[in-house]
Amino acid sequence: MSIQNAPSETSVFVAEGMTKTFPGVTALEDVRLSLSKGSIHALLGENGAGKSTLIKAITGVHRLDSGRMMLNGQLFEPTDTRDAISRGIGVVHQERNLIPRFSIGENIFLESLNAHPLRRIDYNKLFRDARVWLEMLGVDADPAMPVHRLSVAKTQLVEIAKALSLNSRILLLDEPTAALTPHETDTLFKILRQLRDDGVSLMFVSHKLEEVQEICDRVTVLRDGKNACESQPLEGLDRQAIVRLMIGRNEQIPDWSARDRSTGKALLQLKNVSTSLGHKEIDLSVHKGEIVGLYGLVGAGRSELAKSILGKFQVTGGEVLVNGSRAEIHSVADAVRRYRIGYVSEDRKSEGLVLMHSVLENVGMPIWRRLAGLAHFLTNGKIRKHTEPYIRKLEVRTPSLEQHVGNLSGGNQQKVSVAKWLAAEVQILIIDEPSVGIDIKTKAYLHELIRELSDNGTALLLITSDMPEMITLADHIVVMNDYRIMGEIDNTRDYDTMSERIMTLIQGEELVAAE
Amino acid sequence: MSGTGKEQSVGIPPAEQASGARLTTLRILLSNEFGLLVLIVLFAIIFSTISPAFLSKFSLYALGRTSAVNIMIGFSMMVVIITGGLNLSVGSIGVCAAMFGGLLMQAFAMPWPLAVCGGLAMGAALGALNGFIIVRSGLHSFIITLATMSIFFGVMIFLTRAESYRDISPAFTSFGRMKLAGIISPLLLVSVVAGILLSVLFRYTALGREMLATGANERAAELSGIRVHRIITYCHLLSGVLAGVAGLMLVSRTGAAIPSMAGQLGQDWLLPAFLGPVLGGTLLTGGRVSVLGTFLGSFLVTMLTTGLLLMQVGAFWMQTYLGLLLLAAVLIDMVRRSYLTRRKLI
Repeated sequence: MSIQNAPSETSVFVAEGMTKTFPGVTALEDVRLSLSKGSIHALLGENGAGKSTLIKAITGVHRLDSGRMMLNGQLFEPTDTRDAISRGIGVVHQERNLIPRFSIGENIFLESLNAHPLRRIDYNKLFRDARVWLEMLGVDADPAMPVHRLSVAKTQLVEIAKALSLNSRILLLDEPTAALTPHETDTLFKILRQLRDDGVSLMFVSHKLEEVQEICDRVTVLRDGKNACESQPLEGLDRQAIVRLMIGRNEQIPDWSARDRSTGKALLQLKNVSTSLGHKEIDLSVHKGEIVGLYGLVGAGRSELAKSILGKFQVTGGEVLVNGSRAEIHSVADAVRRYRIGYVSEDRKSEGLVLMHSVLENVGMPIWRRLAGLAHFLTNGKIRKHTEPYIRKLEVRTPSLEQHVGNLSGGNQQKVSVAKWLAAEVQILIIDEPSVGIDIKTKAYLHELIRELSDNGTALLLITSDMPEMITLADHIVVMNDYRIMGEIDNTRDYDTMSERIMTLIQGEELVAAE
Repeated sequence: MSGTGKEQSVGIPPAEQASGARLTTLRILLSNEFGLLVLIVLFAIIFSTISPAFLSKFSLYALGRTSAVNIMIGFSMMVVIITGGLNLSVGSIGVCAAMFGGLLMQAFAMPWPLAVCGGLAMGAALGALNGFIIVRSGLHSFIITLATMSIFFGVMIFLTRAESYRDISPAFTSFGRMKLAGIISPLLLVSVVAGILLSVLFRYTALGREMLATGANERAAELSGIRVHRIITYCHLLSGVLAGVAGLMLVSRTGAAIPSMAGQLGQDWLLPAFLGPVLGGTLLTGGRVSVLGTFLGSFLVTMLTTGLLLMQVGAFWMQTYLGLLLLAAVLIDMVRRSYLTRRKLI
């Protein structure tokens, strides 16, 4: 730890001058990296900084244009993923890569199943072997159980078991904790430390800087496809310094003071609501001009709650009140047209936008009916008149309003999906993960916009897994876990105490459940 | 928010407009519709050189009359294709509507306008039934309309005992046999009017836009407040009406409502139903439509059939040629689309 920048003889993996270009983009440019034996190496960078490309180059998905990789002192040029695996490189991908209907055991040993394609599979042995890995990771589950019946967190652990079972000497973990509770994260970290002590080299990709600081010993930061730092010891780097490396300047946290907006009229209230998806005893209220944050881990049921409010899924008990009176929402159309509730989806490509249609069509969608009126007649000019001010206000960068949304950048697509609801003049707006896949500048812009919307009286329900974002924006934070509300707190905007209290709330349930 | 609401829309600066105009020209030249027009002219020249009879008054009249029906069949499929689905029962519905219209005229001695309305109502009902089952079951329209194709046709044969209605009102049949200016069939005008109405629907009404949005991305459309299930049902209903129009056009032309007028189970209509929209550039996955394209595509197909018949190509070869045409059209379209995408023109 005390040796500075020395890829010494303990380096098992060294890469130099890694360059990879795709049509129109240079994803990696002259990137260097070295992983030492028995260490946990953090790979950081913003979305689009080149992390995924780097991982794909190491795991044999992409071939480098130039540069070389050395594995244990030998030249390493993986021809495909299988080749990389056989050389001892394991990876836990961000996206789920398990086959849902296959059993846990089959999934763990998927790679070795086809060694003898026609031989009968010895399931007893397979499940026995699988159990060893599951026990090691503290997963209490039958190896014969199909993966789709597991919780998100357990699925993640099975994925890790799969990577470990390949006897990987180098293990790449791409956001392994995104779906884990703090307790599960602790278990995972214990195992990672143990692997490190056994001499495995781990590379850890995460957006949670607190975790990086907790478990990693070295860090490589990528910015715009280049090294912002290379295999630097983490000791002595504070959060600010890491962020500075990631974005090239200091993190600008807007200095917004805490506000109390709960005195305004309650525009949206849920009273003891349960849904067909399994939500129970949900109480929640969002007042005029208030930003209520809904915090929770992936799979906590937040987006599902949002869609139930919208009428996409059924509310089976309790009542939903809009503007103080009971709302009869039987379809999303009711929510949008009668109650003026809007929803910015976390998955803008498949449910937020119609990518093959123009900017104008997309922004106009919720108000077509209203504009057409009884005559049912609608012209582009009319839609333009009602949407263009908002498209301009959000500074959507597009050659024309006829441009297909699919051709725009992620940040501009997100602006289009917000502009749509501004044009619809909603009184309640639910925003789900507003800054997924957009750059820091657009993110800051969106934050200001959300704040401004609340100042103008819109009631906002903000769903985000990004703790800093939550603490920057929300006036009041509701914590959710496993389709229930765990508790709620007013936001003091003091990051350390707030994040601690939120985490305690999530964990609280776990302790109770464990007893 | 309130301040910007008053802001007038400014439009695009002149410089962008100029380059926009160039792009528009290029886009038109590379469009499906233009390509089809070129092909139509090209084949017209070829056929008339080989067989001068092709340009005779009667031949042109017959071409217009036949293509009118094919265009209507194409429209009928088109309005379902835009939802990303398909309607295999177009032929069945068309025949059912025609038979019902014939029944009303013959057995109930209804005046023909009423009988026509009755026939169209039958088409609408069967189409709506398709839509209802598809939306309720959540199954793909392929399987549902495959089933209803058989059901509708079977029930129709049972009820009519496979007999034709030949006692059709003379006023109605004379409409199908009329010649305007010596060569134009009024049936073609019906198709033109239907095309114009459909264009208006998709361009100038909320309903038409909602149909396209639902076809392009059903989940996004629903989350934007569009009643997607209702919209899909409407598309099938409209498809049934258009199939009914095509069926009644045939009755008016032949002077009888015949159960076998679209072949067994109405299958004879399937190839023209798909050829028109696909040649015309309506996306099979839904979300994009070209009414003019379907019109020209169906016309081209009819022209090729007529031309090949004049050249005395056998009926079996005809099917082969039409199949090849469909395949070629799809491949050419793929190349065109990837070119446009690379140049960021679409």
